[in-house]
Amino acid sequence: MKPARFDYVRPDSVDQALDLLARYGGDAKIIAGGQSLMPMMNFRLVKPAVLVDINRIPGLEVIEDQGERVRMGALARHRMTATDSMIASRIPVLHDAMHHVAHMTVRNRGTFCGSVCHADPAAEIPMIVLMLDGQVEVASASRRRVLPAAEFLVGSLVTALEADEMVTGITIGMSDPQSGWAFEEFSRRHGDFALAAVAVTLGVDADGAIRNPRIGMTGVGETAMRMRGVEALIDGCHPDEDMLGEVSEWLNDNLVPNTDIHAGADYRRHLSGVLAGRAIRAAYARARTLRGKQDE
Amino acid sequence: MNKPDYSDVVMRPKLVGKRIKRTEDLRLLTGTGEYVDDVQAAGMVHVAIRRSDRPHARIIAVDAHAAFDIPGVIGVYDMTDFEGECEPAVPTSRMKDYYATPTWPLARGKVRYVGEPVVAVVAESRYAAEDALDHIVIDYEPLPFAIRQVDAVKDDAPLLHEEAGTNVIVRREFVRGDVEEVFRTAPHKVGGTFRMTRKCPSPMENRSYMAQWDKRNRALTLYSASNIPGVVRDVLSGCLGLSSHQLRVIAPDVGGSFGGKGSLYSEEMLVCLLARKLQRPVKYVADRLEDLAAMSQAFDELIEAELAFDDEGRFLGLRADVIGDVGAFSIYPWTAALETVQVISFLPGPYKTEAYHGRIRGVLTPKPPTGPYRGVGRPSSTLAMERLVDMAARKIGMDPAEIRRRNLVRREDFPYRTAPGIIWDQSAFLECLEGACAALDYPALLDRRDAMRAEGRWVGLGFASYAELTGIGSRISVAPGMPINTGTETANISIDATGVVTAAFGVASHGQGLETTLAQIIADELGCAMADIIVLHGDSSLVPMSTGTYASRSAVLGGGAATVTSRGLKAKVLRMAALLMEQQTGDLDLHDSTVTSRASNQSLTIKEIAKAVYNQMGRIPRDQREDLVFQETYDPYLGTACSSTHLCMLEVDPGTFGVRILDYVVSEDCGRIINPMIVDGQVHGAVAQGIGAALLEEVIHDGEGQSVAASLADYLLPVATDIPDIAIVHIEAELPNNVGGFRGMGEGGTIGAPAAIANAISDALAPLGVEVNKLPATPDRLFALVRAARQDKPPAE
Repeated sequence: MKPARFDYVRPDSVDQALDLLARYGGDAKIIAGGQSLMPMMNFRLVKPAVLVDINRIPGLEVIEDQGERVRMGALARHRMTATDSMIASRIPVLHDAMHHVAHMTVRNRGTFCGSVCHADPAAEIPMIVLMLDGQVEVASASRRRVLPAAEFLVGSLVTALEADEMVTGITIGMSDPQSGWAFEEFSRRHGDFALAAVAVTLGVDADGAIRNPRIGMTGVGETAMRMRGVEALIDGCHPDEDMLGEVSEWLNDNLVPNTDIHAGADYRRHLSGVLAGRAIRAAYARARTLRGKQDE
Repeated sequence: MNKPDYSDVVMRPKLVGKRIKRTEDLRLLTGTGEYVDDVQAAGMVHVAIRRSDRPHARIIAVDAHAAFDIPGVIGVYDMTDFEGECEPAVPTSRMKDYYATPTWPLARGKVRYVGEPVVAVVAESRYAAEDALDHIVIDYEPLPFAIRQVDAVKDDAPLLHEEAGTNVIVRREFVRGDVEEVFRTAPHKVGGTFRMTRKCPSPMENRSYMAQWDKRNRALTLYSASNIPGVVRDVLSGCLGLSSHQLRVIAPDVGGSFGGKGSLYSEEMLVCLLARKLQRPVKYVADRLEDLAAMSQAFDELIEAELAFDDEGRFLGLRADVIGDVGAFSIYPWTAALETVQVISFLPGPYKTEAYHGRIRGVLTPKPPTGPYRGVGRPSSTLAMERLVDMAARKIGMDPAEIRRRNLVRREDFPYRTAPGIIWDQSAFLECLEGACAALDYPALLDRRDAMRAEGRWVGLGFASYAELTGIGSRISVAPGMPINTGTETANISIDATGVVTAAFGVASHGQGLETTLAQIIADELGCAMADIIVLHGDSSLVPMSTGTYASRSAVLGGGAATVTSRGLKAKVLRMAALLMEQQTGDLDLHDSTVTSRASNQSLTIKEIAKAVYNQMGRIPRDQREDLVFQETYDPYLGTACSSTHLCMLEVDPGTFGVRILDYVVSEDCGRIINPMIVDGQVHGAVAQGIGAALLEEVIHDGEGQSVAASLADYLLPVATDIPDIAIVHIEAELPNNVGGFRGMGEGGTIGAPAAIANAISDALAPLGVEVNKLPATPDRLFALVRAARQDKPPAE
């Protein structure tokens, strides 16, 4: 379990990193936290000729409050995201999701942007980015562009990133302070990839009906997913048994999860309905509480 | 309950029984331990192994041409390169209908499982060796195979070892009483198919070997991450055509085994052959993927079993037909009978069951060989028996504790001979059951369960009572006539000229803390300070014959050897002291490294006595001088029962089907406890391992013979968040009839936990009519069981 031979370079600036990517193209790979890349190299599933280590580039290890949005620098570690008080108060659904991201040693090194670039279909962070209108800042030596998360995340372990590009940061929208949220995940062991996970944010109107729901899911498809079908189903409704039954039914009819040794597709479909029901209920209860406080 | 007999105990503070911190932990916990991978030698080369990706195929040709283009590659070897240089290891036995498969260093002619070593690359670094693996082309001719044991057992199944003439290489049967008649007339019967799926032992340190050829003495030293260095020395010297003084096997610090390092491996033969061929030190360290693919595995029996009982819940008869999937080889030295036969020899467990018929067939399949695994056979047999007991209780509406109470072998029945012939000497079977019930306040626990159930929660209770035979002497063999003697243990204890006590054993501690516990015993028995004792172990050169640490033997046999040898040495010390002090030996005491006389005010330290014996010429008359060295071998002849009851309460999430353990208690009788801290650690660790077996771990081979849980992302070991608080009750009943009064207790947790959890989940799901007879009970399996029980209606929350 030793990696194939590779060269290692450690640029001091983003421009240097981009020059290196331009020079080596598809033979080079950016290493940030390395928590997915290094095992894949050790298994020889990937054999980059050059590793471009961005860990010493100043200015990337940041989480920035931009008012309406939060910007995660390319080296924002999971540990930073999980303990950031601004995120805990302004994007609580992300804060809750971080409880499920791997284990302490992995969280100390692994990065927010790295998780999105790795695009594991059972990971939490790509799903949150998708759900909260994430914008991915992509740079190469010759151009800069910003991709919506929905365009960036293409498939299982596949993104729209070109060989000479790197992600310099990702912004996500802050949650409406009035909205309720919930994150429900089930995995074989704590910290493992999700068999299914559901994130929900929603508001309630004066009549107690659900407004502006956002629902993300992971672990049950080829990529993280925003469940607009479910959002449409529950928007304007009061969550009761019938409504949650319809959500389960909708998921059962529309999801096409994988079968692997940990769970079959039938179980995953079932689990999706269960977790979605729990998350919607919990988010709704929070939203009601928040609204009640506002009304007082 | 009788009080233990301490009449031989003098009223001085004893170390046996004290919670003493492990002396080995200073090095192990500060990163200064030395494992095989830490062993360095000038000119050392590294091995990488190309393993079979076919379950069954003939090797037509190996083309390694391109591998030599990789910088650093020294040589590429397949089995044809070693013909004439070694003999295979053959795990012989006198068992009828048994075929002993030969183990070679690399696949010879055929491959028989995915993961079998085929080609070895030797290079200046492991990196270069692994680079070369991709450039080796092996031409295979695929052969037919039967991957499932129910297929492999058939008469027309493709043969894995043609020489055997069959895939069924082990058959055993135990019969007592007229079982047919009992079942024909019994008022009640329950039965089922029980299955503990295949496991990998997964110690933290992978298998690691380093062989060094000494040109000067024409001798080999093998550093091996093994818990049986003595066995490896004896067999490998024969295979390699060396006399045993030309081969020394050292197991330095070993990072766990759980049975996985308790057999001979092809890779051990391989590094020795390469070191001799190349005349250079050769190191091979398995990586995690290789150990998951090729370390000896566990269990994998299909158990059809039935229990007959009367209206009072009394067991009348038991029968079982078992097919054990032994993998592709009969493992050295234990044979394929080790895991399989123990399933039927321990199936009746701690219960009085007069009529019994147990039958096992051990069948070859293209998978890694099964071998020792903490608990051996008994996790499977206990799962089957304890499920049957709960099914019987449910059938007649009896409390599961009560049905056990009525059938456990009682004090007045000891020694009790079970149907397969195992003798339970004396152990607190019933007291362990009562201890577990008392610890969790069983009536209150039932109330709590029922209250939670009333809220719609799926909560259940599960017992597992079992007994195991530990500290087994020379009377009992795993496989009759197998090539090694597991029934004796030798200690050599000496006091050198400076007064330091060196105690050498044949055991090989790999996490048990034997350097501490054996020193506690010696300190008490010899009368010296613990700090003056060095315990040596894990080296084939220490005592004339040694096998190692396995089968819950080291506390009983090693502790027994420490005791008898210390007593012999103490007698010598006292004789020398008597001469020096001009006293009668009968008036002398030895304690805290000092000899005192009850007849005078004289005293001498061990250090002073040693100095007089070794260094001060003429102080002791020449014809009465004795070296302060003693060696003795201890043989407990039979074995001693170690028994326990586990009780747990758990909850199944009706939505996710995840299992959460709420309460867990182990109530056990391990005889006299040497070090309670170590005993607690063994119980906690073994229960954690049992929880892994019950809920998480499973080696899965698909229809193509490929292992699909190939990494630790898919072979799920339990982690801290899966383990509940585990309460422990120590029952000190009558001590066993061996030197020291110790029972072996390192394995028990893995035996009880899977059955207790299967029972508790079955109890939780009983309102739905679901029974859990196959482990691990994964969420997906429970989902399928519940769905089937509800006739395909999806469960509502």
